[in-house]
Amino acid sequence: MTAPLLTVQGLEYIYPGGVVALRGLDLSIERGQKLAILGPNGSGKTTLLLHLNGTCKPTRGEIRLDGQPVRYDRRALNGWRRRVGLVLQEPDDQLFAATVGQDVSFGPLNLGLSEAETAERVREALAMLRVSHLADRATHALSFGQKKRVAIAGVLAMRPEILVLDELTAGLDPYGVTHLLGALQQLHDTGTTLVFSTHDVELAYSWADRVALFHEGMVLCQGETAAVLGDREILHRARLRPPLLLELAEALRDGGGDRHWRPPRTREALLALLGGRFCPSKDGAAVWEGEPLPGHRSRGVAE
Amino acid sequence: MRAIDQHAWTNRWRHWHPAEKLLPASGLLVLTLILPPLTTAPLVLAGMALATVCGAGVPLKTLLSVLAAPAAFLLTGIPFLAVSVDFAHSFALHLSEDGLRLALTTTFRALAAMSCLAFLILTTPLTDWMASLRRVGVPAGLIELILLIYRLIFVFFERALTGHQAQTARLGYSRVDRSVRSLGLLAGNLFQRALEQARRLEIGLLARGYTGELRVLAPKYVLSRTRLATGLGLVGLVGMTGGLLARGLL
Repeated sequence: MTAPLLTVQGLEYIYPGGVVALRGLDLSIERGQKLAILGPNGSGKTTLLLHLNGTCKPTRGEIRLDGQPVRYDRRALNGWRRRVGLVLQEPDDQLFAATVGQDVSFGPLNLGLSEAETAERVREALAMLRVSHLADRATHALSFGQKKRVAIAGVLAMRPEILVLDELTAGLDPYGVTHLLGALQQLHDTGTTLVFSTHDVELAYSWADRVALFHEGMVLCQGETAAVLGDREILHRARLRPPLLLELAEALRDGGGDRHWRPPRTREALLALLGGRFCPSKDGAAVWEGEPLPGHRSRGVAE
Repeated sequence: MRAIDQHAWTNRWRHWHPAEKLLPASGLLVLTLILPPLTTAPLVLAGMALATVCGAGVPLKTLLSVLAAPAAFLLTGIPFLAVSVDFAHSFALHLSEDGLRLALTTTFRALAAMSCLAFLILTTPLTDWMASLRRVGVPAGLIELILLIYRLIFVFFERALTGHQAQTARLGYSRVDRSVRSLGLLAGNLFQRALEQARRLEIGLLARGYTGELRVLAPKYVLSRTRLATGLGLVGLVGMTGGLLARGLL
């Protein structure tokens, strides 16, 4: 395997005023993965993300891009931010221009692209997030979900190698989440590495390749999604619960007893796993091989 | 103000080149100022109202509410223009014919001029004006500042509104003394949040390669000769009719 794209070693960050946000954490981001930074609120996720594009300078520790230690002079920072795009949690913190198209054009113009190339990038980014119809709208007239997508388009138009998103689903409804994940998946398929922070275990479980479990300014463990989120003990230490899909599948397996099973990652996979054994009865209550589902003895499961 | 802004963004003539709207509006404005207002001003008022309501599709109600504020201001001024007070002999009020004429011409002229401005602000968003100003050589820094303020006004307004709603929900405005206190707290809080917002906005901009210049793509409009000619025609027609009416030739 080639060297990781971005590595963080022994990162410590103390805010002016003495609050310790990060206490010596290690993290590595491989090319082409979808990495979830998973942790409860206030565990330092945002502070970490601000280090990934050089917004914050670590108190101690080192960040390497392509194996080279990063520098913090203006030129180095510009080159760094060209490769690592950061989307903030709150779109209003990012959108500054009066119209959607103008806001998205800001990044490409800063890359030194011509107006024609910029216009093309704007079209492409807006189309990818399915907000082309908003190009001429006033930024302040958008809904929250629209603002969020436009904010992402503004970073995407710079075609970063790594796209870092802070709390990407915060404030979005399920439909908005589905759409956004679809667009990001498309982006990922074209080779962009994705890093996103979240406190949503279900999202990390169903969507990330790897998970870095975050707790009080440290990475408790980093690894394959299923392995990390299957470890109840370590999840408990991070004050998180295992994903419902996994818990449910495990409960089913305990009845079945297959040692070489692969845990389902999506709703659909879980339903397929249930397969023939799962058949909704005529009165609407779920039945599993003639008996109610484990753990739901009285009512069964609705889905 | 929000209503004006909303119509500026959504009216039917939003995508016209700003000059196509500026030409008839400024032309009629000049006519209002140089021709006798009693005959010209009603024509200008009607022309601009028709363009705004029937042309651009802005509701008449909105136009009237934009004109209402200056109209109210004018109405309060009419008595003072029409009536002259005589202190020389004893205290006496006179309704002079000259005063009345002055009051009428002033009112007509001001309302007609306002209708030209109302047409412009209701049909063209601020960004288009700024783009035009930049083209005629206004410094980029100034325009960036205006546009940034324009954007942040709405963010600030939204915060103020939610803050006020949250305070109201907890009975912050149930008594006069509480209202004063709540309003003070809200103002202090908004100030603090504005500073934080500025800091986070800087982070967001830096992440996109900000180096001190807020350059964005300028809106592109195609100048339509037909529409320009129509605008010019309207100005000419109003000018001729107004002038002839003033001389009593029609």
